[in-house]
Amino acid sequence: MAATLVLLGKIWLWAGAAVAAVFLTFGLDRIDEDAQEAYVFRPLLIPGVLMIWPLVLWRWWHIERHGDITMARYSPVRSAHTAAAVAMSIAIILVLSFGWNARQDWPGDVAPVQMTKGSDE
Amino acid sequence: MSVKYIPVQWNPNKWFYDGIMLVGVFVFLWVFLEIAPGVLSHERPINPQIHNARAFGACAFVMLTIILCIGPLARLDRRFLPLLYNRRHFGVMTAAVALTHANYVLGWYFAFSHIPPLEGLLSANQSYFQVAGFPFELLGLFSLICLLLLAVTSHDFWLKFLTAPVWKRIHFLIYPAYAALVGHVALGILQDQQTHMVSALFIGGPVLVCVLHLLAVVHGRVKADRIAKGHGWLAVANVAEMQEGRAKIARLPDGNRVAVFLHEGKLSAISNACAHQNGPLGEGRIVDCLVTCPWHGFQYDVRTGQSPAPFTERVPTFAVRLNGKIIEVDPTPNPPGTPVKPVPLPEAAP
Repeated sequence: MAATLVLLGKIWLWAGAAVAAVFLTFGLDRIDEDAQEAYVFRPLLIPGVLMIWPLVLWRWWHIERHGDITMARYSPVRSAHTAAAVAMSIAIILVLSFGWNARQDWPGDVAPVQMTKGSDE
Repeated sequence: MSVKYIPVQWNPNKWFYDGIMLVGVFVFLWVFLEIAPGVLSHERPINPQIHNARAFGACAFVMLTIILCIGPLARLDRRFLPLLYNRRHFGVMTAAVALTHANYVLGWYFAFSHIPPLEGLLSANQSYFQVAGFPFELLGLFSLICLLLLAVTSHDFWLKFLTAPVWKRIHFLIYPAYAALVGHVALGILQDQQTHMVSALFIGGPVLVCVLHLLAVVHGRVKADRIAKGHGWLAVANVAEMQEGRAKIARLPDGNRVAVFLHEGKLSAISNACAHQNGPLGEGRIVDCLVTCPWHGFQYDVRTGQSPAPFTERVPTFAVRLNGKIIEVDPTPNPPGTPVKPVPLPEAAP
């Protein structure tokens, strides 16, 4: 299972490398006038393309077809801030509680319990 | 701002910000590695590899905690806004420190086996259904992947290419990343931590982050922007409320916000969302016809919604009119960068 995950990760990154090669040498100049004749910054984009290449392909296709400026650009995702902050706070409180309760030396004078047999037993 | 992309758009403020940040990182690591081993009171002697891993891990935890405090602090008190200014560099540095921590961990705990280190990390502990002994390493791995994703998409190109709303949604990963990091610590080092100072750091930091975020939520509810009222043209403010060089912000029926500015006795309205990161333009001040976004300093002419040449950013504009003493806007935005003739206030009208 672990080996499969690592292999999938490698395939993902190789696909991203192929997308990066085409996008940074060919596509970038077509969709962003600020990138034309600007080459020094392009290597900085490679890690990002490797990680989110499907999104890069989608945005590239979208800009080619519909153009860059859409009104959606000016619709901030404000309401999600509250939900994200509350969800994060709940998760933190829960995980801190679980972690603190799982400590074997709390609330005090509790003998540690060996969870698995050691190699010498 | 835009024009041609360069790797990093340095300016004196960024040099100063990054300098302070770097000094802070080095001081933290120096104290952790050289000054405080006695305070950390490791029960068993640890080797330099583990000590380094813990130092960089603790440093990344503190950095991410500070990053997550900056946002709500800036919303609660504008004096913290300068800390928001270069937060992306802070995030990139945090990802680098976290990656160094992971490298030390993989190079020690998973280095002496026939299984490749990453496969070893993913397979060594599979006790997913218990709290004590949970594979906390995977929580750290998730957090690290999120931090790397945020770091590698931090260049301004990504903002423009993905658009601010998509970019912001990706960068919301900072919240689950931090929750996972707290889990990584709570189910990891805290299980064995005997030093109250370190425990207080690892518990107090997340609690502070939660409190600040919840306070900011409450503050946002109390200070909520006014809602534009009416049908067709919407009332946003009374002329008596307007201040020269400042704006009144109102929420439109579609959920977006309009900022109505008073400049040289005339009214102009633009989108409240900066084209850069959707910062609140209406909270900025007008200087020489240009409103400056309080988040990152992007500027726009309030009469046209355009950045001054040679910059190319644009925001939508809105038509404004006066209905007696009531200022009204047409809720349908004009295309970004559309000039709109400013409306003089009655006392300023010829």
